[in-house]
Amino acid sequence: MDENSSARLKRRLLGIIYRIGLFLAMLTICLPGLWIVLSSLRPAVEIMAKPPVWIPQEISFDAYIAMFSGIGKGGIPVIEYFRNSLIISVTSTVIAVAIGMAGGYAFARYRFHGKSSVFLGLMLTRTVPGIALSLPLFFLYVRLGIIDTHFGLILAYVALNVPFTIWLIDGFFRQVPKDLAEAAQIDGCTRWQAFWQVEFPLAGPGIASAAIFAFLTCWNEFALASQLTRSVSAKTLPVGLLDYTAEFTIDWRGMCALAVVMIIPALTLTYIVQKHLVGGLTSGAVKG
Amino acid sequence: MKGFKPSAPFLLLLPAMIVLAAVVVVPLLLSLYSSFTPFRLTRPETFYVFIGFRNYLSILSNTDFWWAFGRTVLLLTIALNLEMLLGLGLAMLVEKATRGQRVLRTLMMFPMMFSPILVGFQFKFMFNDNIGLVNNALQSLGITRDAIPWLIEGHLAFIAISIAEIWSSTAIFAILILAGLLAMPKEPIEAARVDGCTPWQTFRYVTWPFVMPFAYIAMTIRSLDVARAYDIVKIMTDGGPAGRTELLWTLVARTAYSDGRMGMANAMAYFSILLSIAFTVYFFNKLAAARTQIGAEW
Repeated sequence: MDENSSARLKRRLLGIIYRIGLFLAMLTICLPGLWIVLSSLRPAVEIMAKPPVWIPQEISFDAYIAMFSGIGKGGIPVIEYFRNSLIISVTSTVIAVAIGMAGGYAFARYRFHGKSSVFLGLMLTRTVPGIALSLPLFFLYVRLGIIDTHFGLILAYVALNVPFTIWLIDGFFRQVPKDLAEAAQIDGCTRWQAFWQVEFPLAGPGIASAAIFAFLTCWNEFALASQLTRSVSAKTLPVGLLDYTAEFTIDWRGMCALAVVMIIPALTLTYIVQKHLVGGLTSGAVKG
Repeated sequence: MKGFKPSAPFLLLLPAMIVLAAVVVVPLLLSLYSSFTPFRLTRPETFYVFIGFRNYLSILSNTDFWWAFGRTVLLLTIALNLEMLLGLGLAMLVEKATRGQRVLRTLMMFPMMFSPILVGFQFKFMFNDNIGLVNNALQSLGITRDAIPWLIEGHLAFIAISIAEIWSSTAIFAILILAGLLAMPKEPIEAARVDGCTPWQTFRYVTWPFVMPFAYIAMTIRSLDVARAYDIVKIMTDGGPAGRTELLWTLVARTAYSDGRMGMANAMAYFSILLSIAFTVYFFNKLAAARTQIGAEW
């Protein structure tokens, strides 16, 4: 065989190996999620079957119907949990973004003494593990009477989200050239007007992604919520999911259905923000 | 004379400071105080008894605690290193793809959308010894005839938890490293090839130094959130069997809420906080160093 064709063969072989590698990697990533979705649609008998049934014989939405038809039939009050999750996540996101915008703007546009240590200090508050923070918060909330309320959890989530929101929004404001706001000020805008009419619209998409990221953090949070909420009036979905496992016999199909309900908003939102999120996190990496 | 006039950045950062002080700093000071008391939830009067370092001393001689501590560090070391390696591999696979890169990128982000509690549940389901996907597949393929007790045997449970942890967090590394690869200028790679570098040398001395800051950003983000392993363990094994997968965080929760020994739990919590801070500061410094290096070279 001459050198040309052996090189061609080698190249084709490498191409095939590469495709297989990529396929396996993607399979590993997607399979667990797909399996959950599939299991939520199968009859419970099929999930428990021995030997296993690989190809579903019938598909039904019974688990979802049971879940949303209230406590009597489904077991856990999914609608209430869903509502709690939504109220808490949205409110705390709005507040965290407002605070984060102010802070991020300060980091992006001003030079001040001890800037990097203030930044590190903010980040350090975020490193406190949720469960460690829940101990004093639990005690304080019981004393203040805000345990097991929306307000208590919202307050905790705002603090949880502020540092990271500042980091992201700082990155997005840095991407907006300083000259633009200065030009607007020369043309007679006040700094306040320049911010709202020039810099804010330009950083807008980035701020939206920071908001969605904050929302997802709240939506998915478990460690704090599991200790600071007790009853149906304040429990969020992740805590609700644990309700299912607490029972002696586990309703796998019901849990899968609840998991799908939890993942759909997260899936949609992450898909929307993915591009901006990566841009915001890395904007400081190259330019410093 | 005008009075004290606060500067603009101070005013802008004030709301953030107030919230963080109220919800993080002050409660932490409170918990620092209570770690010096024998405080129990059932007996509020014990909150005012000061016992000095006795909680800390009894932790130091508590073998369960040290096992949990060692296990936590082991899990983090294994998980972070493998996540980094796999993330790098995944990013390079996706970067090589000529078609459908957008789709691949979206698929790659898939695990990021799962909350830790969901990841835990999903792997609890898959590793179930009786009906789980893993055992079913192994048995159908004839690799093993008996059901493997994934979540029932201590070492296997630890492996299962590590897999869940790695599955959920590799995406963050892959995405950020991919961003680095895509942002990288192509000339240095071509120059290296012209100068006769092997692919490995090109990767080691050209690509890797450039991608490093991105990897450290991922590390920093990850280390901000290392304690999310708590959620996974909580739902998968809840520290069992017989405490074999107990991590620092599950131990803190058990001591505080099941045993009601708040003072002791707070003392333990401080170890977990210090651990998190150590990880973050370490990667933050690496990040700063990598940034300045890049700034000097490009």
